[in-house]
Amino acid sequence: MTIAPDVRIDGDIVRLRLRRDADLPLFVRWYNDPDVRHWLHMSEAGEQTVETERQRWELTRHDPTRITFVIETKDGVAVGNVGLIAIEEAHGRAELGVSIGDKDYWNRGYGTDAIRALLGFAFETMGLRRVELITDHDNDRGLRCYEKCGFVREGVLRANRLRYGKPLDMVVMSVLREDWQA
Amino acid sequence: MISESILTGENVRLRPVQESDLPHFQRWLADEELRRWIGSVEDQPTMEEEFDWYLGRRQDPESVLWTIETNGGVLLGTTELRLSPPNRRAEVGISVLDRTHWGHGYGTEAMRLVLEYAFDELELIRVELTTDAANARAIRSYEKCGFIREGLMRNHRVFAGVVGDTLMMAILREDWLAAR
Repeated sequence: MTIAPDVRIDGDIVRLRLRRDADLPLFVRWYNDPDVRHWLHMSEAGEQTVETERQRWELTRHDPTRITFVIETKDGVAVGNVGLIAIEEAHGRAELGVSIGDKDYWNRGYGTDAIRALLGFAFETMGLRRVELITDHDNDRGLRCYEKCGFVREGVLRANRLRYGKPLDMVVMSVLREDWQA
Repeated sequence: MISESILTGENVRLRPVQESDLPHFQRWLADEELRRWIGSVEDQPTMEEEFDWYLGRRQDPESVLWTIETNGGVLLGTTELRLSPPNRRAEVGISVLDRTHWGHGYGTEAMRLVLEYAFDELELIRVELTTDAANARAIRSYEKCGFIREGLMRNHRVFAGVVGDTLMMAILREDWLAAR
């Protein structure tokens, strides 16, 4: 589906807007915080620059199977990003990714509110039936947040990624439209 | 990429895909039950689509694709590793496309050849797959090769309007080495 470039998705304490070119330095700053990067595939990459981030952005920005939103507070402060990848319209599903890049905003409900807002958009506007995600098995803060949003654990993938070169198990979770609407 | 490696087992071998294989693959994909189990091919592809698929795979450095045939040269199907190099992991897909050859253990043997290549040559630490949770024959074959069930993705796939679950399975390097 095509999404209007000026789309706004409102949550209770956040609003989501599409990522744009001018956000590059913001993403670099977020990814260069080791505590943020720890939970991302980015943990294996070195220090990021606007140039490395631009290259990644150029590769993915026109990919119709992804959308990336910037999470802003109601005052317009950008605190992180949330998005969908692997959007498969034929199967009615997508994979969700989220990161609060500004640590000052951790543990204050911004991620939960952003996920809930995006799920509403995914199920009601995009018409998806299933939204899934995958996260490090020891990401307790993330797991708690995802469960609050209605995600259910479906399995554990053993040694699914490397973190600092060591194999790490990851949890697969999903929320179905029928659970969301109930 | 199209693998240059020829892997030979007792009854089957894996060899590079050739353009002359494509009309056979395309013809076999007329079989709706076969397409249901493959999951990602809703309708029988045209020859042009089949050729595009081949070109796409040939240019993709994260894909390793083979044709499966008997040691006597009878074409059976395809198998593919989709690599995730930073994680030393791959997803495997396998299809014995000619159903007159189902039930002879060819798929199981081909899978063992792929696993040997993945763990011994590529030194991966994990090989995973997903399959239709209703595909009992395939699941039995994967378990014979050492794959373990890791989870069930609910309402994950749609084929011909019917929603179904997808099973996640994987085999780790240590499982593979221990089973030697």
